Amino acid sequence: MAEKPQSVRVLYCPVCSLPAEYCEFGPDFEKCKPWLIENAPELYPDLLKDSNDKEADKVSEQLKSVGISSSGGDGTTTAAPSGGTSTSKQEVKRLPGGKIKKKEKQEVVIEKIVRNKRKCVTVVKGLDLFGVKLSDASKKLGKKFATGASVVKGPTEKEQIDVQGDIAYDIVEFITETWPDVPETAIFFIEDGRKVAAA
Amino acid sequence: MFKKFSSEDVSSQNQVKASVQRKIRQSIADEYPGLEPVLDDLLPKKSPLIVVKCQNHLNLVMVNNVPLFFNVRDGPYMPTLRLLHQYPDIMKKLQVDRGAIKFVLSGANIMCPGLTSPGGALDDDALAETPVAIMAEGKKHALAIGFTKMSAKDIRAINKGIGVDNMHYLNDGLWKMERLE
Repeated sequence: MAEKPQSVRVLYCPVCSLPAEYCEFGPDFEKCKPWLIENAPELYPDLLKDSNDKEADKVSEQLKSVGISSSGGDGTTTAAPSGGTSTSKQEVKRLPGGKIKKKEKQEVVIEKIVRNKRKCVTVVKGLDLFGVKLSDASKKLGKKFATGASVVKGPTEKEQIDVQGDIAYDIVEFITETWPDVPETAIFFIEDGRKVAAA
Repeated sequence: MFKKFSSEDVSSQNQVKASVQRKIRQSIADEYPGLEPVLDDLLPKKSPLIVVKCQNHLNLVMVNNVPLFFNVRDGPYMPTLRLLHQYPDIMKKLQVDRGAIKFVLSGANIMCPGLTSPGGALDDDALAETPVAIMAEGKKHALAIGFTKMSAKDIRAINKGIGVDNMHYLNDGLWKMERLE
């Protein structure tokens, strides 16, 4: 047998998943930049220069603000909120950009459907928006509540989980415990055709 | 081809029987002699080989939930880009110039002038209707996998129109499908 050719390890950007050298052609080069500067500076020498300039600016600004605030009486309290606002501004800036806007609102909708008068099915929609694997989730739900739980293609090609039995009240706690990514505020019930927040 | 490709396009997943598995191995080994020494690592005899059938007569060969090869109808097996990045020398390489990268990465077929211009390079051994790796000017790694429409000589001679069909490129549906459950 011939000698095994060594497999090549390619540096992939965690932001856009492309090899680092293709980030500049990726969907969002701007977002990749911080990572690139740290991990693959040799690929983009121009970038490094830019960032250095920017950082210098930032530092000088910070120095300035600190100088101003420390001259005031209660300097520390004024400095802290200003920092907070600047970061939130950045987040807002990112949101309107192109594709992110299209993203659906992340929420889990729980609906109880009664059938045969005394039997019901609890439908959980939208768990997949939180990066939860639906097949896993249905298994967990079935185990927890000792009932049948299945992934069903709902209306408009969306996948949802059908759980047999009325579990609407325990399910909120269960969801927030098993998937910490799902905040309680994002869970809604449907009662009489109206959306009601669970929290 | 994989521009819009997601787990929804999968119509069936089957663990194939040993004879089919052997056949797939054989055809991959024939197509990519450079891959033969590592083929045992890639497609271990013990672990089940799963063939995923998708729409448009597309098949994916998958081991441990990682897609490794794909083919169309009864065409040749082609490695996925992640695999090709690990073993870059298994395929013939064609190089496109820098201006073409943008278009290739949005799924365009590779046009002859992009290959024959100063930034491009051609492997003269590349025949028509074979899978090739598409490299790019100034980049180390492949950016797409193509299926030649004409031989390298013809590409040079005709220098017009589509030279290579773009099968699979960076950031397309198959690339994003790192694992398939």
